[in-house]
Amino acid sequence: MKRLDTTVSSIRQVAEGYYELRFAWPAQGGDEPGPGRFVTIRAGGRYDPALRRPFAFSDYRAGAAGEGGEAAIVFQVRGRGTAHMAGLRPGDSLDALGPLGKGFGRPARGARPVLVAGGIGVGPMLYLAATLAEDAAAGLCEAPILAMGFRNAAFAPDIDLPAGAVICTDDGSSGFKGTVADWLAGFDPGSPPAFYACGPAPMMAAVARLAEARRAPYEAAVEQWMACGVGACAGCAVPVKSGGFVRACVDGPVLDGSIVDWEASR
Amino acid sequence: MIGSMDMGVRIGDLVMPNPVGVASGTFGYGQEYEPLVDADALGALYTKAVTPEPRRGNPAPRLVDTPAGMLNSIGLANPGLDAFIAEKLPGLRARRCSVVVNVAGKTEDDYLRVLERLEAEDGIDGYEINVSCPNVAHGGLAFGTDPAQVERLTRRLADARTRGGARRPIIVKLSPNVTDICVVAKAAEAGGADAVSCINTLVGMVIDVKAKRTTLAMGTGGLSGPAIRPVGVACVYKVSRAVSIPVIGLGGICDADDALQYLLAGAVAVQLGTAVFSRPEAPLEALEGIRAFMEKEGLSSVADIGALLL
Repeated sequence: MKRLDTTVSSIRQVAEGYYELRFAWPAQGGDEPGPGRFVTIRAGGRYDPALRRPFAFSDYRAGAAGEGGEAAIVFQVRGRGTAHMAGLRPGDSLDALGPLGKGFGRPARGARPVLVAGGIGVGPMLYLAATLAEDAAAGLCEAPILAMGFRNAAFAPDIDLPAGAVICTDDGSSGFKGTVADWLAGFDPGSPPAFYACGPAPMMAAVARLAEARRAPYEAAVEQWMACGVGACAGCAVPVKSGGFVRACVDGPVLDGSIVDWEASR
Repeated sequence: MIGSMDMGVRIGDLVMPNPVGVASGTFGYGQEYEPLVDADALGALYTKAVTPEPRRGNPAPRLVDTPAGMLNSIGLANPGLDAFIAEKLPGLRARRCSVVVNVAGKTEDDYLRVLERLEAEDGIDGYEINVSCPNVAHGGLAFGTDPAQVERLTRRLADARTRGGARRPIIVKLSPNVTDICVVAKAAEAGGADAVSCINTLVGMVIDVKAKRTTLAMGTGGLSGPAIRPVGVACVYKVSRAVSIPVIGLGGICDADDALQYLLAGAVAVQLGTAVFSRPEAPLEALEGIRAFMEKEGLSSVADIGALLL
């Protein structure tokens, strides 16, 4: 974990209201991001907004020997902080703190990773898909499937998608017409599936039901408002079925999807 | 002249190494921010509130961003007194800064239970009595708005200090959600408080218009951050003139200038809270700025800053 005044290397709009931000991240000794982990960014100046904004890493590329690496996030403009970030330009300074939280684990040998993304959840799932594709090439698991759901084609990101990626849109303007859950219901993974998901609570709950029905493991990356990001404030509470809460920032953001109380999450 | 400057701050029998602390609830128990902040260089670390029993805290969402601030409704989530002593205190004992335990409860006896038990433990330098949390149904703000209850609770806690030698100061944390904060400050002083800290958060609410419901699950929360700083400075100005015990200022402090506003208003020490979330380095940068100010003004003691206000 470190806080860096780093530099924006590129920013590009990838869908309606969605941007990919790439920035220098000279990782060393445990500072490599990893799929599912996140970074907090201080958007704007002079404590307004007062809180850093958390974003899952969507990519990381280690630098050549002696050079720094580059990390990326995908963000959606939702409020003042992200509106400010959309105005960043290459060369601008970026106050980034990370890597934070627990990332995704790897599937059992021979399992079929089924990655499910909704909306802004596409960022961490793209990163995970790329990592698992390397694992599959090394014979560690089956090739991953990435299913992504969007309201319509305008929200589907213009990003290089991995082989096996499926796009679902509510209105059928691109790919499968219906929700990701609808598509998954008719999907045969061939091998024992291992579910991974990031997206809105109804989608996360649907994947939980599917994983339970298939007795498959389910790793869920959760979203929550966050203040400290390091486990100090207990602000980013996520309700769990056993009663009580876990903290998205240090207990997660990747949690066992079967323990989360998705109905109580909003 | 830095060598001759006294950055220490006296609160009762305690001398904090410098005037800059981190506010309760924003810094956990000190280890969470490693390696980003050298907590040993702080003046004081105010722990997350400790209650007799573990508390899960309030339903989520507990946080929302607001203009130049934030609302929180954590609900005093903490692992409870036993776990605090077993798991958190060992790390705190090793600190070079003053360690002030924030004490909370639903009843007066709850506060007593925490303090009496902690009196038997080493490694604690003081108690901050939380009678101002706006996010719990019992205790907290319900106590802090009643001067008679504040006085009685403070007296019981002050009298319950059983350790020999230097007494750990009782710092009563005041709420701005009252008609006249000075009345409550005087009640704390009458009850034997060694200091007061002010202000805790202001009660606030954000409504999600699209969803037609409050953004926080509990409805209301406590407003903190730069948005409340002028309220805090005014409270410190008034309280420091109403009581003769030291006043510790907090509320929206982000840098040395903000801290100096509080010190000029009459505080002898400050706490940074919400700013730490955004810039973990902020407290130690503020300390450096206070030091530079004192050097420029030719002051030898932090306690002399307040006298500069025209």
